[in-house]
Amino acid sequence: MFHAPALRSWISSSRSPIIMASKSKTHRLHQLSGTALQSIAKRPRTITTESYMKDAFANYAGYLNELNEKRERVVKSSRDITINSKKVIFQVHRISRDNKEEVLKKAEADLEAVKDQYISRLVKELQGTDFWKLRRAYSPGVQEYVEAATFCKFCRTGTLLDLEELNAGLLPLSDPAIEPLQINVFDYLLGLADLTGELMRLAIGRISDGELEFAEKICRFSRDIYRELTLVVPLMDNNSDMKTKMDTMLQSVLKIENACLSVHVRGSEYTLLGSSDPSFLMGVPDMQS
Amino acid sequence: MTGGETDAPASMEKQFEDFRVKLDEAGSLRERIRAVVNEIESITRLMHASLLHVHQSRPLSEVLEKPKAQVDGLKELYGRLAEVLCECPGEYYRFHNDWRSETQTVVSLLAFMHWLETGKLLMHTEAEEKLGMNQAEFALDIEDYLIGLCFLSNEMPRYVVNQVLAGNYDCPRKVLRFLTDLHAAFRMLNLRNDFLRKKFDSLKYDLKRVEEVYYDMKIRHLANGDSAEDNGTQGQS
Repeated sequence: MFHAPALRSWISSSRSPIIMASKSKTHRLHQLSGTALQSIAKRPRTITTESYMKDAFANYAGYLNELNEKRERVVKSSRDITINSKKVIFQVHRISRDNKEEVLKKAEADLEAVKDQYISRLVKELQGTDFWKLRRAYSPGVQEYVEAATFCKFCRTGTLLDLEELNAGLLPLSDPAIEPLQINVFDYLLGLADLTGELMRLAIGRISDGELEFAEKICRFSRDIYRELTLVVPLMDNNSDMKTKMDTMLQSVLKIENACLSVHVRGSEYTLLGSSDPSFLMGVPDMQS
Repeated sequence: MTGGETDAPASMEKQFEDFRVKLDEAGSLRERIRAVVNEIESITRLMHASLLHVHQSRPLSEVLEKPKAQVDGLKELYGRLAEVLCECPGEYYRFHNDWRSETQTVVSLLAFMHWLETGKLLMHTEAEEKLGMNQAEFALDIEDYLIGLCFLSNEMPRYVVNQVLAGNYDCPRKVLRFLTDLHAAFRMLNLRNDFLRKKFDSLKYDLKRVEEVYYDMKIRHLANGDSAEDNGTQGQS
């Protein structure tokens, strides 16, 4: 169970806190108070007004060092998750009617690798604690992973990968003795908001390749996500970044709808030109009727 | 366009419905937290106002009487906060921002009162004791405590000035000693570029200001002889 920063437990878990503090680039002051503490234990203490302060602060320093170092490791691991999740997304964008199976197989394998290599690293660094405290450190990576995973799933099955299923997949990464890393609802929703951007790119790309049905499927899917989110976003804590994403999301949805409209309205013209590559139509201004 | 379904698939609907329910619950929890925090804020305002009398050189026991009585009220409120948080174990830091700055203020007031009485620095564990924040699931965040100490230091220059005006010429030396020690202690911390770091920087300016007052007095031979070491107990005349 996660517990609030108990300095007590931090101290009791490390017999010599001063030594722990000094593992970070030997700070002379730390070592000084280290010797002071140890020798004080052995002989009657001569009270100087400052030694009690320094002893206490040596402990606080150790605590902060440990926290900050953990935070840095979490940030690094979050970056790895981001980079590799983006690669999965790029891979999925290669998809077309002809290579769907091949592209998706690779993407799904890469996604598994992100989970097994990079998310497991995050799990290791967090050690089952400070999930909320350090959320800002790993949230970007997790959001990107959500984006990649939901993107893959949509292209595979046309449905939304839900949070429960996503988290079930993460459970095996954590030692059963500790609190498992689970994606929280906020990171899931933030990742979902970014997903619509990728869906927009995918839709435009598919239209260029003449895959109109697929584009329309993307259109319906994006609309659904957007609509559901409008009901949920107002309830989120600290939702200012989500609100901005909602604006962007609406733009994406509009672009998809308009692209589908163009094709729909000019549908007959596609067949007329006998072209499986109507991309040249994208730049044509509206005809006066 | 194939006349598609106008509704999202049932599974999508259900998931988002679940989200709405959970977020609603968190929202009401948050409202309850806010209610307790507002009460904490009221008490701290009263305590602060009482303590401001110290700038008008009222006798210390008189100044401290009301605030000390109010500490129990604070302890009770933090107890209520702990109870609310018990309902969502592990989410202390999810809601932390809702009581963070109020708690920093509380720490600074407690530390000021402690210093006025004993001349010593209130320790983290002592602060936890006073507020009943020494439970496993509900503790005093170290950074909140440290920031509270910086707020304490911010009060010192003004205190010194007013004490001198009231004829307490011993004060600057004592405060200077205390702030120098505090500053030295803070320098042991490796701080990153965050709010705590900013507050630590302000501590330097407080120290400098008190040094100036002390120096002004010393060169005019107004300060008491500081050859005698005191044990840090604060006596108010």
